[in-house]
Formats: sequence, structure tokens, C-alpha cells
Amino acid sequence: MSDGRVTATPPVAEDTRLRLTIIGGYLGSGKTTWLRHQLFEGVFGKAHIIVNEAAETPVDDTLLSAQASGMTMLAGGCACCTGKADLVAVLRRLCDARTSLRAEERTQGQIILETSGLADPAAILDAIRQDGVLVHHIRVTEIIVLVDALNASDQLRTEYLGRAQIEAADRIIVTKADAVPFSILGRVAATAQILNPAAQIMAATKGQLVPLQDFSAALPFDLPIISGNEPVVPTKIDIGDDVDWATFSVWLSALLYARGADLVRVKGVFRTPAGPILIQAVRKSVQPPELLPLEAAINQNKMIFIGRGYIGDDLRRSLDFFAS
Amino acid sequence: MCNACGFPTRPGHWTDAGATTSGDRLRLQLRRVDVLNKILRGYGFSARTPGHGPGFALASFTGRTTLLPDLETVWEEAAQQLGQPLDPLDPRFTRSVTSS
Repeated sequence: MSDGRVTATPPVAEDTRLRLTIIGGYLGSGKTTWLRHQLFEGVFGKAHIIVNEAAETPVDDTLLSAQASGMTMLAGGCACCTGKADLVAVLRRLCDARTSLRAEERTQGQIILETSGLADPAAILDAIRQDGVLVHHIRVTEIIVLVDALNASDQLRTEYLGRAQIEAADRIIVTKADAVPFSILGRVAATAQILNPAAQIMAATKGQLVPLQDFSAALPFDLPIISGNEPVVPTKIDIGDDVDWATFSVWLSALLYARGADLVRVKGVFRTPAGPILIQAVRKSVQPPELLPLEAAINQNKMIFIGRGYIGDDLRRSLDFFAS
Repeated sequence: MCNACGFPTRPGHWTDAGATTSGDRLRLQLRRVDVLNKILRGYGFSARTPGHGPGFALASFTGRTTLLPDLETVWEEAAQQLGQPLDPLDPRFTRSVTSS
């Protein structure tokens, strides 16, 4: 520093990237209904809505546009595969428009992406990370996945996609809670928790949150193995003091490269020379780590791995090998 | 971006977070080469710093040396030359080690 001052900890730079919330869920799980109610209640503030429909003719846009600050319709291709280029183009345009705003206006807006029922949210996350422009301008704050209480048992039994959506979620909302008895609601929630042990689970009826009773005793649905996909298992690793950031980052990046398809989620806070950072990965895709304020890092150096195809203890042993 | 070599073409790899000062970055790069070699050695590769900037120089058993901008591309290049990714969960790395 030119003025000769010495600061012990450099101030954490504010993350000014545009926030993006991804809303996923199987066909007919109630994404538009839920989103419309949230917009009505002002949960997302001034948000630009992007709605993706796999079908050629859009129907959702008229329902939503009343409450949004802006609205883009992406029809005729699912944004996680065939419509990926369109989604990237729209997001780039939004980022572009934002740069012409005054600095204080920039902090307000956010984007809500309602995916098509056929989309895998993890693939969308990956598309954003792979794009050299978007990765600088967009921060995915949350993946919310809606699960239809009425149809979940059938879908999850047979559809790989339904499970993949749940696995990618930060928050799971069981919809149509009034349409099934409490016992079934509990079973749906318990099944979702097995598929994604790290996610927060809530229930809603027509977009309004309803209390979800304790479902820890509920019997989850049978989840037969679909095309070799065994259920995921969570592993928590306490990182010892002998593991520094260099070791951990090399190890984790190698692990994600080799086992990314099997590692559904990795999440935790790690102590680095620059301060505690939040690490989040969904399959092979790692979000740009966020530097956290020092006091926010109570649970640092604990990592959660959720995945399949490996033994949890092997993760510990392998990390120990690289740390020794 | 470096005018001479074009690196990094992408924004920093996620592993480059966690070091904000140039001293930390250099230390991190050097420490990483040590760790990197623990996994590479078993497959006939070795890594060193390129000496003039970020990234790694990956030398393979064929004698070929490749300059790579970040860890992601190191795994990619190694997997391509080897025909399979380097797996940290390979039994050779998960045999119990006595902590020193």
C-alpha cells in the first residue's frame, strides 16, 4: 500500500453481481402458482422473471407478468439443453442493461428463472459458470425445487429427472400440501430429505407456506435404483488444522473432476489466508467462492459431501493422504 | 490477461479464491505444486510452476511438457494423455496412512 498503512485483514469486497434464483420442479409441480404468490407478496422485490417452457406455446407468461418488473419468455426448448444458448443470450442482455444503471440502482434488482419442468437445475448452473461473461456478472443465490405432493411417489419411483432436481436443491417446497393427508405429506418430505439431506424442506398450498409437521418418523417411499443410480449418502468431514487451503483446493478439484457426476453436492466453509470462504458445488460445477465476514464463519472447516459410488471414509483417508 | 501467453482466458478458477495478496497467491501456487505432485507422481506426471506467472507446467511420462492455466486444465490434460481421470479415491490414495 502506498500510504504505508498496514491493515490486518483486507475489507471483504461486496459482491455486486446480479442475483439469480432458480426455480425448478417437475412438470405440473406448481412452479408458476408458487412464484406468482411470492411475487404478489413481494418476496423477491423488484425482480426480472425469466420463464422457460419446453413447449412451443407459452402459457405461463400472462399469469406472471402483472407483478414482475420485467419478464422474458423462453419458449421452445429447455434451458438446460436445447435452449441453453437462448438462456445465456437473455442473461447476457440483462447484465448488459444493468451496467448502464447507476451504481445505487444496481443493488436492487434480481432475476428469477422459472425453469421448464424438464430442466435439471444443475445443468443450468453449469451453463452460467461456463460462460465467460455471466460468471463475472451473475451469482446464483438459491435453487428452489418444488415437489408435487400428489404425484411425487410415482414420479420419484420411476423418473431419474425428478430425483436429480431434488438433489440439486438448496430448498425444497412440497406443493399441493392440502391435496394429500398429513401422513402422505410427511412421507413425501421424508423421501425428499433422503434424496437431499442438506436441503431445507417446507410445504405450501397454492403458494402459501403451510406448517410441515415433524416428518422424521415418516416412512420414505421406496426408491428403486434407476439405471445404476444408488441413493446418495451424506458424509461430513471435519477438516483438521493440518489441511491447508492449497491441499484442500487441489484435492477437491481433482475429486470433482474425477467424481463430479457422482458428487451431487459439496458445501462448507473453509479457512483461507484471505478469510473464511463459502464453497458450494453442484455436481462438477463450483460456484465462485464467496469470501465471508470473519464472524460468519463459526462452522468453518466442516465440509458436507453428498454423493454416491464411493465410501465416505475413503474421502477422509484420501484427504489425509494428501495432507500428510 | 497476459499479452504474451493469453492466460487466463477465463475468469479465475475457483481454487484461486482464498488468496488476495500477491504474496499469498505466490505461496499458494508453490504449495499447490507440492500437493499436485503427490497425486501426479503415481501416474507418471510431474508439475512445477512455469516460473513466470500463474498456472502449472505439466510434464508427462512421454517427456511432453504442457503449460496450463489452472488446476481444471491440469486434470483435463492428464486425463486426456492417460485415457482416464486421475482419481483421488483410487485405492492407492485411500489406504490408511498414519498421521505424522
